[in-house]
Amino acid sequence: MIPRIKNNPRWGFVSGRISVLEGRLQPREFFLNLIAQEHLEDLVPHMQDTFLRDHISPGTVWADFSDLCDRFFYEMTLSIKEECPSSIPADLFLLGGDYLNLKSALTGSSEFPFHFGLLTQEKLLTVSHGDYADIPPALRESEAGFAGEAGEIDPAILDIILDGAYLRNLLAMADDLGSELVTAYIHDRVLSYIVIILWRALRQQQSLRHYQQYLLPLGDFNHVVTELSGMSNVDNWPPVVGGVVGDILFESLELLSESEQIPGFELRVANYLTRIARDGKIQTAGPERVFAFLAGVQVEVQNLKLVMNGRLNRIDQTLLRQRLRECYV
Amino acid sequence: MTPEFIEIGRGLCYAGAGLAFGLGGAGSAWGIATASHAAAGVMREKPELFGRMLVMIALPGTQGFYGFIAAILMMTQTGLIGGSQLKITLGTGLALFFVGLGAGAALFISAIKQGEASAAGISLVARRPEQAGRAILFPAFVETYAVVALLATILFIVFLTSPLALQYLSR
Repeated sequence: MIPRIKNNPRWGFVSGRISVLEGRLQPREFFLNLIAQEHLEDLVPHMQDTFLRDHISPGTVWADFSDLCDRFFYEMTLSIKEECPSSIPADLFLLGGDYLNLKSALTGSSEFPFHFGLLTQEKLLTVSHGDYADIPPALRESEAGFAGEAGEIDPAILDIILDGAYLRNLLAMADDLGSELVTAYIHDRVLSYIVIILWRALRQQQSLRHYQQYLLPLGDFNHVVTELSGMSNVDNWPPVVGGVVGDILFESLELLSESEQIPGFELRVANYLTRIARDGKIQTAGPERVFAFLAGVQVEVQNLKLVMNGRLNRIDQTLLRQRLRECYV
Repeated sequence: MTPEFIEIGRGLCYAGAGLAFGLGGAGSAWGIATASHAAAGVMREKPELFGRMLVMIALPGTQGFYGFIAAILMMTQTGLIGGSQLKITLGTGLALFFVGLGAGAALFISAIKQGEASAAGISLVARRPEQAGRAILFPAFVETYAVVALLATILFIVFLTSPLALQYLSR
């Protein structure tokens, strides 16, 4: 079903720009062609067809390719954000790096490896020095009660608390935007993220009760976290998860070997989310158009990283083809 | 027919003329703004496409002119501009008011929607400049109904202000 999309002329300028930029996104065949190249040096000329052409210079170190991709995506997101009437569609993509930086800050580190989004370096430095006044409200809402004594918290527990806050923040921002398409995307992204977190924890034989305690509250997903935390057999999870994500989980459990189940689920969910985002292309002007485009760029960046790093590390071409995500165009 | 009724009839007629050009002009301004936003965004990346987008930016502007034509015709046919003043009855005035309102509504909505259709066409041109010829067709189809509204308005004004109609409506 295509979510209802309303054209919004205030978003006309940025949407017009996106119309041009969309023309530079590459289809799946481009990446299959990259994987099929015999020599690594043959890949370089093809990079000129991508967004990265302005970021690649003769002295580019290929070992830093992931950093280069991340920097490009960050700069593109900031550039789009500057031209949007609301920063939310772009902020949804910047938030991930913020929470990873926040984790460094909460553990007392003054080095932040990820690009700064909503949390500036100054704010993070304040947090790292023990002043928690600027931490996101989503972190304070943790049911376990984040009172600011981060240094005393077990790092594994801090990870769970930050994951919960990140997901809460995503849901709150999507609600604030009030877009049906973005809400549908974020809703299923959060749900799949919950499944992956709990599934990985179960594989590592961690207690899921910790997750129930520190991940919540997550609004509509409280019951999912609570019920999944009480089930040690993943085969029983799909009905609880429900919806398309539940179907994908069922399919992954049925069709894939145990070692392939989690990456297979992640890939299928990513493809499903890309299909949701593609509906944004039918809008002439509006936040959905911006969000969908950035989701498309993110997929392209991930595919480029997969192919380049895979080829650099001599990963089998068949495996790379299997791991390739569906493209936005 | 008392002079008061003639004055009310004349007033209604000019109110209709005002609505025709007012709504038409407002819709055109809105439609052009919608198309211009999209075109400006495209030009940020590809300034060379300006020529191909110009017609689509300008198309929603025609409704403003159509409204102006309808209003001028009402004024000339009723004698406000040149000629002798006709005896506008209450019935004729009311009819002309609704003709102006109908024309204004059609022009207002078609101009806004044409702006949106132009913006969609501009998005297509941004991705595939070679499709510029086809992209113009989208807003051009919307234009059809603005032209139909103008034609109907002209016919109504001409016939409502003909001596036979005035004689019939003043009975």
